[in-house]
Amino acid sequence: MPVKPWQRWLAVGLTVAVLTHLLTVWALPRLIMREAMARITDETATQARAQGAPQAATGVYLPPPTDHTQRRIVMPSPDLLYATCTLDLSKGPMRVTAEVAHPRYWSVALYGANSDNFFVVNERSAAAQRLDLWVVPPGADRSAMNAERGSTVVDAPSRKVLLLMRLLLTDDPADLALAKASRSTLRCDASAL
Amino acid sequence: MTSRRRVVVAWVATVTAGALLGVGSAWLWLTCTDPAGTRIGPWLVNLEAGSTDASLYTRARIALKALLALDRRETLYYIAQQDDAGRPLRSRCRYLISGSIPAARWWSVTAYADDLFLFPDAEQRYSVSGETTLNTVGRFSAFTGPETPVSGAIKWLPTPGDRGLILTLRLYNPSPEVQADPGALAVPSIQRQGECP
Repeated sequence: MPVKPWQRWLAVGLTVAVLTHLLTVWALPRLIMREAMARITDETATQARAQGAPQAATGVYLPPPTDHTQRRIVMPSPDLLYATCTLDLSKGPMRVTAEVAHPRYWSVALYGANSDNFFVVNERSAAAQRLDLWVVPPGADRSAMNAERGSTVVDAPSRKVLLLMRLLLTDDPADLALAKASRSTLRCDASAL
Repeated sequence: MTSRRRVVVAWVATVTAGALLGVGSAWLWLTCTDPAGTRIGPWLVNLEAGSTDASLYTRARIALKALLALDRRETLYYIAQQDDAGRPLRSRCRYLISGSIPAARWWSVTAYADDLFLFPDAEQRYSVSGETTLNTVGRFSAFTGPETPVSGAIKWLPTPGDRGLILTLRLYNPSPEVQADPGALAVPSIQRQGECP
């Protein structure tokens, strides 16, 4: 049966529709992550300007305790204090360290450029409240890494990585001070020190 | 119009229409349909949230609605947009949320507006969590609603205005049993209190 012109155009239109549909669904988390990482980088720079140079060196953004004025990342937990940074692994592996003396739940999670949570460590799995990670980009030369014994080597699925630290706050007002002290030890560029 | 120009116009029109249909259908599918997951009473739990095994659609939905979720071993997220009777949650109605202590290291129930951000409250009463005072039979309870409940004994999460309400139950480090089968959790009930026209 010969194909009529309108059938050919319909086939072209539907093929384009299916491809753009899949492309949209694929690209959306990547675009949202890119936007989130750009915001964190901006916030870190703004905070560094406000607080002076030492804060800038750590590359970490320390947001205020979560309340209803936080309207950047959806579904923020009011029971957690956060710290966050972005890792740019384009020059090779990066070391992340922290000395966390928080008596309650805390965790550090890593997210790839596609928004997947590819790694998480909490205070039960971290050795002696000490965090020492080497985050390695895909296809990196590991020999230049110089990872000490006891540090954890994590393979990242992308060169851009978002790190999010969570520290549980309870009704005990002492928690906030301890959590703030702990998160201030986070270094996202410890390899450069 | 020459026949060649007609063909060019037809191509541009077809590709544009196809692209609009593709983007539009993706957006509608991600925002207007129920996400895949296990339904337990009024709660929906997605086992692929944050996971590297997430499907294309789950990843996009989570990025839109729960960016930076943790994977199921660390945290399970149960989300409710309806009450026990299946009616959509509204901030202007009053609900009693009650349940037994979930099997996890720590848990919380947080009230969000339909834009997925917290309701404004000067006293920062946003969530009920592991520290809530339990009643004599070991259950927790909390009210949500726009006005202070008469009884001050139960924690109140203010939800001002008239808009959609979303409740999120977080389980940090859920027990191995719940992790293996999140549908087996004895989830909190969400009961509407009184009339809400």
